[in-house]
Amino acid sequence: MAASETYAPGTVRMLIESDLVTPATRAVLKARLAVPPVVEPRFFSRDMFGTIGAVCDRLIPQPERPRPVDLPGALDTRLADGASDGWRYATMPPDEEMHRMGMTGIDQAAAAIYDRTFIELPTLEQDVVLRGVQAGTASGSIWAEMDGARYFEELLSLVTEIYYAHPLASEEIGTVAMADAHGWQAIGLNERETHEPVAAARMLGAE
Amino acid sequence: MRDPTPSMRSYSPSESVDAVVIGTGAGGAPLMARLASGGLSVVALEAGRHWSPADDFSTDEFDQNKLFWMDERLSGGGDPIAFGKNNSGIGVGGSTLHYTAYTPRAQPDDFALRRDFGVGADWPIGYDDLAPYYDALERFLGVSGPEHYPWGPSRDPYPLQPLPLNAPAQLMKRGCAALGIRTSPAANAALSGSYYQDGVGWRSACTNRGFCQAGCSTGAKASMDVTFIPLAIGAGAEVRSECFATGFERDAGGAITAVIYVNQGVEQRQRCRHVFLCAGAVESPRLLLINDLANASGEVGRNFMAHTGIQLWGRFAEEVRPFKGIPGALISEDTHRPRDADFAGGYLLQSIGVMPLTYAGQVARGRGLWGEPLRAHMRDYNHAAGINILGDCLPHAQNKLVLSDELDARGLPKPLIDFTNGDNEVAMTAHAERVMRDIWSAAGAEEVWAFPRNAHTIGTCRMGTDPDDAVVDVDCRAFDVPNLSVCDNSVFPSALAANPALTIMAVSLRTADRFLEG
Repeated sequence: MAASETYAPGTVRMLIESDLVTPATRAVLKARLAVPPVVEPRFFSRDMFGTIGAVCDRLIPQPERPRPVDLPGALDTRLADGASDGWRYATMPPDEEMHRMGMTGIDQAAAAIYDRTFIELPTLEQDVVLRGVQAGTASGSIWAEMDGARYFEELLSLVTEIYYAHPLASEEIGTVAMADAHGWQAIGLNERETHEPVAAARMLGAE
Repeated sequence: MRDPTPSMRSYSPSESVDAVVIGTGAGGAPLMARLASGGLSVVALEAGRHWSPADDFSTDEFDQNKLFWMDERLSGGGDPIAFGKNNSGIGVGGSTLHYTAYTPRAQPDDFALRRDFGVGADWPIGYDDLAPYYDALERFLGVSGPEHYPWGPSRDPYPLQPLPLNAPAQLMKRGCAALGIRTSPAANAALSGSYYQDGVGWRSACTNRGFCQAGCSTGAKASMDVTFIPLAIGAGAEVRSECFATGFERDAGGAITAVIYVNQGVEQRQRCRHVFLCAGAVESPRLLLINDLANASGEVGRNFMAHTGIQLWGRFAEEVRPFKGIPGALISEDTHRPRDADFAGGYLLQSIGVMPLTYAGQVARGRGLWGEPLRAHMRDYNHAAGINILGDCLPHAQNKLVLSDELDARGLPKPLIDFTNGDNEVAMTAHAERVMRDIWSAAGAEEVWAFPRNAHTIGTCRMGTDPDDAVVDVDCRAFDVPNLSVCDNSVFPSALAANPALTIMAVSLRTADRFLEG
């Protein structure tokens, strides 16, 4: 039932080229699609960049994609550029410090349970470590200093927003909210615009 | 980028203008237009840019983060407030660039909570003082709404017919009907038809993009940049964008003689005879505290309030596609003073559509879902619909803004805002969650979940009659400075059970009229 909303691959990417998308929107989305994967981190150390990559793989796993949306790269770019979202919890350190501490803390938590680094663990064990951080029960000197639950919330919401801003994610959830150059007329329950794509599963008669 | 102000008058910084207005949102823009129309020389300083929405605004939430105030604020207390995209705008038009256009009036008893319940604070002005301004604003902005509004004092029909109900509104209507809760199409300051006003020109009808909170690219939403700002500029006001006010020059008597501001990294000053500080309930008190101004009462920064705003989300079997249409299309004020309430005041109920990224972020923060459960939840985005409340919030002494020890990139102290919901807000939120769960259950929702939150920034420079416990008087003039007024959501003595923008504008017009009357 859930996957029935997913569009056929390429649906949104093709739509971006059409006059259903405004020039301002097209420019933003094409630029996002064209960002090359970050190979050399600017903010994180190489080791930390490996850890954040492994963490992102668990927060938003993309096993079906040969070229996944580059979440650790986008996070590194954002932190290197010093971008802010306008506020932070007064009990938390500044974003840059918070994420460096967070990655160190995740390795501490992995070591406390399994005596290995996070990146060395199988995914099931990685999930155990992350659930401990989210619950605020992880071990390690970092988590004595910094609220794990708050850190996990900050990291998860940021990674989630980066992912769902990508056109590939729009295809996955079946939304063409960006294709509004002519506005929307069919806005009620079970209504679909004539130019609005049909989900892939429905085209195949899977419903 | 097109120049949005091709024929704007400009004043010399050394010329002492009648008024400098700091901030161009719902507090600053209406009074700026009214003062300029009254023949005064007016210069407005706006920290952000002057956008050309048709060219500059994309339908992309990430890109449109440029509409939000991103200088970092520190959030403390038991219920830390999210700033940035939750409640804080920047740019000519201020937070109206990202408001949802929701424009209910406050009701008469909202202004008198202490009289009715013995808690909170009463306003020194009331509904009757603001009603003529509500009337004028609804006409000028082009508010779309019902012919007969079921709640509050009798009133004229709204100037434009209601905007169409989107799917979340249809679902709320269905659920409320089953429970006997009255609903009405909501008042929204977005046009349901083409509309003309002198000094503004024609604005075209809303195309149901549903991206109000990420900026309106068509001009159908009555943000200040497409309504009062062109009116003000046409009347001779100058709007200086990318100018961040940092301080004041004063004479021996304490009167302000110039406003100091930074533009492109260079400090400037504009001489003036009066200052209207309209930078919102965080930046207005922050600027006063940084300059140790207008605070003999010690009240600057105190009584910070944020509306109770719990949201309830549900998944429906029907297709919703919640990004379409005006987000808050349906309202109920049957909960304005609930009979079974165990709290003071009340709240309104509102259907809510939601943009995809906003929804994803709330699922992450509110439900803590990650991995495949998060992706599975989001694959049902097209079936999500919400209701939320806008409820009163009492002023509490411990909820306040102070200057922190941390400096921002400008070298100014970051504000620290402590906020904790009191017993009244907790009880109101619990009541509202029960009511909304009943509505969504009656409407057929599955997998219902609540996202508790607080909305808007209110208080910190309260209006009052006693200089010992208020910052400004009933006409928004500072008690301690002869030629300073503060006019925005910071002067609200109580939060009111209505979205604030329309009332901020009404107070703004009244402030200008009282000033012009001398």
